[in-house]
Amino acid sequence: MGLNVEQSERRACAVIKVSGDVDLYSSPDLRATLVKTIPKTQCETVAVDLSEVAYMDSSGVATLVEGLQRSQKQKKRFCLLAPANAVMKVLHLARLDTVFDIRAAL
Amino acid sequence: MEHRDDICVRLRSSPCLLKTVRELVRQYMDVCGVSAERRDEAVLAVDEACANAIRHSYGGCETEVIELAFRKRDDCVEIVLRDHGAPADLARVERKRSGVDRNEKLKPGGLGVALICRVFDEVDYRPGKNAGNRVTMRLRLPGALEGQAAARTEQG
Repeated sequence: MGLNVEQSERRACAVIKVSGDVDLYSSPDLRATLVKTIPKTQCETVAVDLSEVAYMDSSGVATLVEGLQRSQKQKKRFCLLAPANAVMKVLHLARLDTVFDIRAAL
Repeated sequence: MEHRDDICVRLRSSPCLLKTVRELVRQYMDVCGVSAERRDEAVLAVDEACANAIRHSYGGCETEVIELAFRKRDDCVEIVLRDHGAPADLARVERKRSGVDRNEKLKPGGLGVALICRVFDEVDYRPGKNAGNRVTMRLRLPGALEGQAAARTEQG
C-alpha cells in the first residue's frame, strides 16, 4: 500500500487524513501537505487522522514533530486523530507518545 | 559449528525499496518463530537501519549498495547490515543508544538509532572492513531468555 494524503475541514478543524505506509519514501508527501496547510488554514486546529496508517517509521514521526512545531509557531493546535496501533507503537518506542495531543475523535 | 547466512541480499540504496525490505524481515522473523509483537518491532528497526544507511552513509544517493545478511543462531536472530558509505559518528551513536540525547531539544529526526537500540537486544556499530559501516543487530529468542534466567537463578 502506498501513501494517500487527503485534506478537508471538519468541525472547524483542518483534517489531514493519511492512509497507507509512512516511511522515508512517502513521508515527504505528508510533509508537503502539512507545510502547505498549517500556515494557510483559517482553522485553529490542525488534526492529522492516522486511523488508516498501516506502518510508520521515524521519518513519519519526525514529520509529525515538524508539524507540531510549525503549528505552535502559527499559534494553532496540532493533534493526532485516532492513531492506528502501528503509529502508537513507534511513538511509544520513540518516547514521544506524551508529546502529542492524541484524540480518539474530533 | 560454522554458521552460514540463511539469506543475504544486496539492494540499491533507494527509499522505494524499503517496503520490500520490511516484507522480507517480516517473513524471515515468522520463519524464525519470533512473536508478532517482536517481529513488527524488528521490521521497524531494520527499516530504520536501512534508512540511516541511505540518508547518512550515502547522503541520499540512491545508486549505492546496502547488504543485509540474516541468520538464526542458537539463541538469537542476527541481522547484519553493511554499507560502503561515510563512516557513522560512533560517539553520536553511543549518545543515542541510551535514549534521546539530553542535550538536544525536541527536533524532527535523529530517532533512528534510538529505535534500533530499543528494539534489538544487542546492537553493534563498527566500521566496515575496507570502508563504510557494519551494523550487527541481534534479537534474542524466547527460549534463550528463559535459559539465561535459569542460569542466573542457579548462579544466585
